[in-house]
Amino acid sequence: MKIKDAEIIALMQNPRTLDKGIRVLMDAYQSRLYWHIRRIIVDGDLAQDTLQETFIKAYQNFHQFKNDSQLYTWLYRIATNEALQQINKLKKMQKTDEDPEYYMQNLVADNTHSDAEEIQIFLQRAIQSLPEKQKLVFMMRYYDDLPYEEISKIVDMSVGTLKTNYHYAKQKIEEYIKENYER
Amino acid sequence: MKDFDLEKLERKNIYKVPENMFENIQDKVLSEIKADKKAPIFKLNWGYAAAASLALIFGATFMYQFNSDSSANGDSNGNYADNRTVPKKESQLAYETLASDLTSVENSNQRVERQMDIKPVVSQVVNNNSGNQNKKAVKTANEIHMNEYLESLPNSEIAELANNSSQDVYLDLYN
Repeated sequence: MKIKDAEIIALMQNPRTLDKGIRVLMDAYQSRLYWHIRRIIVDGDLAQDTLQETFIKAYQNFHQFKNDSQLYTWLYRIATNEALQQINKLKKMQKTDEDPEYYMQNLVADNTHSDAEEIQIFLQRAIQSLPEKQKLVFMMRYYDDLPYEEISKIVDMSVGTLKTNYHYAKQKIEEYIKENYER
Repeated sequence: MKDFDLEKLERKNIYKVPENMFENIQDKVLSEIKADKKAPIFKLNWGYAAAASLALIFGATFMYQFNSDSSANGDSNGNYADNRTVPKKESQLAYETLASDLTSVENSNQRVERQMDIKPVVSQVVNNNSGNQNKKAVKTANEIHMNEYLESLPNSEIAELANNSSQDVYLDLYN
């Protein structure tokens, strides 16, 4: 992956190969970034738009990328910010009397495969019941297996705080599933 | 569910995904980038903007002053034109002529009252290079009208004018 990142960076930094660079970058990261965004936003169409916007921003602002950080960390940061902006817009558009967490949990049921396991649906609902920071930390650690140091750069939080947040998030999810899921 | 360990659960993506989704996203991104390249991006440079604003302010001020000056000149020109076209009243002419004559020594060049009499005088002033014949004609006409004017004045006024004229003799020495 590191060699590939170096190639992408070299292509993106040269104006002549910039277009080729963005294609290689999209091929390499579209799946990871899409699922990261999708778990935050849940809605499929909105997740597509957000991924598209992430790549456009990466293309337009690549001159701001510093080689001292990982390429995927930088891309995750853009994707996370875009996703959170979309979530905030969604919350503003909602009815004031409706609980945003409840709305997101219902959205999970509407967007899952018909053959999806029930426990998996409960897990996603439990994730949507978490506060925003805990949700982000849990998803990046549990699904993407990102090191705390890299998550720290993405969400601007200390490693200690991240570890605490992950611990509480995991605890809350397990409690949610124990309470709500019946085999 | 009493026994549940999150770490033992398989990590799956359970959401529905449309076919060719990534291809469509890539096409949209690339078309957006191309459109972005075609459209010229105007970036506001605050330094240039400030300089342009100052130039505009100074330019506008200069133009305003220039216009007000020229309009003032235009008014004065208009007034000048009006002064030339509007004939003077007889009393004004008489007063001016009298005032100018009082500084003169020679009786023949004193006191021109009527407008008709002014015209040759003006022409004489304007056309300094005109011939001696014209001067003689003006003189004779002035003499006739001056005599008529003096005859119309009462004795007391003539005496007063005579006193003034005798005082102005010394002034005329320097003319």
